[in-house]
Amino acid sequence: MIIDCDVHNDWSSADVLLPYMDPNFRDYFQRGEKPGPQGALPHAHRPWLHPEDFRRHDIKPESDDDHYKLMRQHLLDKYDITIAILTGEEALECSTLANPHYASAIARAFNDWLIHEWLPRDPRFKGSLLVAPQDPQGAAAEIRRLGDHKDIVQVLMSHGSYRPYGDPFYHPIWEAAAEVGLPIAIHLGGQGGINYQPIGGGPTTFYWTTHALLCQPAMSHVASTIAHGVFEKWPKMKFIIIECGIAWLPAILWRLDANYKALRKETPWLKRLPSEYARDHIRLTTQPLEQPARKEDLWHVLEAIDGRHVLMYASDYPHWDFDDPTQIRLPREWQEDIFYKNALQTYDRLPKLAE
Amino acid sequence: MGNSDGRKAMTRAASASRKPGRRRKQYACGPANLQPGERRLIEVDGKQVGIFNVNGEYYALHNRCPHMGGNLCAGPVSGTTLPAGPYQFVYARDNEILRCAWHGWEFEIATGICLVDPSIRARTYAVEVENGNLYLYI
Repeated sequence: MIIDCDVHNDWSSADVLLPYMDPNFRDYFQRGEKPGPQGALPHAHRPWLHPEDFRRHDIKPESDDDHYKLMRQHLLDKYDITIAILTGEEALECSTLANPHYASAIARAFNDWLIHEWLPRDPRFKGSLLVAPQDPQGAAAEIRRLGDHKDIVQVLMSHGSYRPYGDPFYHPIWEAAAEVGLPIAIHLGGQGGINYQPIGGGPTTFYWTTHALLCQPAMSHVASTIAHGVFEKWPKMKFIIIECGIAWLPAILWRLDANYKALRKETPWLKRLPSEYARDHIRLTTQPLEQPARKEDLWHVLEAIDGRHVLMYASDYPHWDFDDPTQIRLPREWQEDIFYKNALQTYDRLPKLAE
Repeated sequence: MGNSDGRKAMTRAASASRKPGRRRKQYACGPANLQPGERRLIEVDGKQVGIFNVNGEYYALHNRCPHMGGNLCAGPVSGTTLPAGPYQFVYARDNEILRCAWHGWEFEIATGICLVDPSIRARTYAVEVENGNLYLYI
C-alpha cells in the first residue's frame, strides 16, 4: 500500500480557472498582465529558472485530458498507488502577488476547479485546499467555505512566505484550519514577489545550489510555529512540510532545544522542548530524499528524531526530482510507516484503510 | 564526483568496447535513415532500446537510467559545457550527450558513461548498418 503525499495535477493553460474565477477579478485574469503568454498563471516568478525545465522530459501532455491519462500510466497504475494527495502545480504561486484580494480569488478558483474537475475523476484522489497566506482573513474564509469537503485532506500554502508561519499575522489561518479539523501543509514554492527572502544571506546564483538551499524557509517555519506556540494554541494541529528535504531537521531541533533550555523565558507559553512539539505535530514528506554516499547515514541521523514515525512518502510526480517508490530504499522496518501508516495517522480524513 | 573525474569522462574517446561479442544479432529498427541528432525508441525481447544517430554514427542504449531507473532515452540530446576555468563557458559535443528524462543526469551516448561520475554507465548495445537497415546486437 502506498499513499503518495505530493502529486501534481497540472493544466495545459491556467485559463481552465476562468469559469471558476470570481467575477470581480475575471477581467484581471483575462486581460491583465501575466508573466507569460495567454494561459500563464498571474504570479511573480522566482529569479531562479530551471535550466532544463522542472518537469520530467518523458511526460508530455498535449491536452488537458492527457494530464490525468499520463498520471495513471506513469504513476497511479504503474506503482499501484492507493491514495494520491493532489497538490496542484503553479497555483501555489498566488502567494507571490502583492494584491491579497486577487491572490485569494486565484486560490478560490483553483479550489473549485480541483473539486469539480479532478477529485471526481479517480477514487484514489484526495485534494489540498489552496490558500493565499498574504491574505489571512481571506484564507480563513476559504477554509470555512470548503474545508468540510469530504475529499479535502489539508490546507496548502507555499513555503516561500512573507513572514515565518508561526507569526500572529497568520493565526486566523491556523484558527480556521483547527476549526474544520484540517492539517496545514506547506509545499516548496512561492520564492518570489512579496516573498522576497527565500534564501538566507541573499539570492544565490545557480538553480542547483538554490534548490538545495530551499530547505531554509522550512527551517524558519519549524522554529516559528513551535516558538509562537501554534501547537499550544491548537493542540491537535499537524503541520506538514512537503518537498523541503528531511536531513536538516535533526540539526535544527538540536539547536532549538539547546537555546530553549537557556532562554525559555522569551516564550513562557511553551511547556515542552521544541523537539517534543516537532515529534507530535510536524510531519515531513520524503522527496527529494537526500542521497548520502552511504545510504544508512541518512537513516541513522533520522533515527534521532524518530524519523520512522514523522516521515511520509511523496513522489513529486511529474517533476525532475521525482522519487520512484521502488528505488528509494527505505529501511525495511520503516517501510510500512513511511509508505502509508504515518499518512493515515496524519490525515484524519483519509479512509482508515483496512490492511 | 570531483572535477577531475568529470574531466576524464569528457575526454575519454568513444572507444569503449562495443564489439558484438557473443550477443545475438537482431533485426532491430528498420531503415538506417535517422538524421544526426535523431533517435528511435524500439522494443526488442521486452527491452526498450534507444537508437541514436550521433554525427553519422549509430549507437544504442538501454532505456533505463542506472541512477534511478528513469526513461533515459526519452530525454533531450544536446551538447554540454566542457570543464573549464571559473566563469568560462565552452559549449561543445553537440548531439553527443543524452540527458535522462527524469533527473537530468548526462551520459555520453557513444559509451554510456555518465559525465558527472564515470564509474556509472548506462547499458550500451552495438549497432550495425547493413544494406541500409539497422541491426542491433542484444
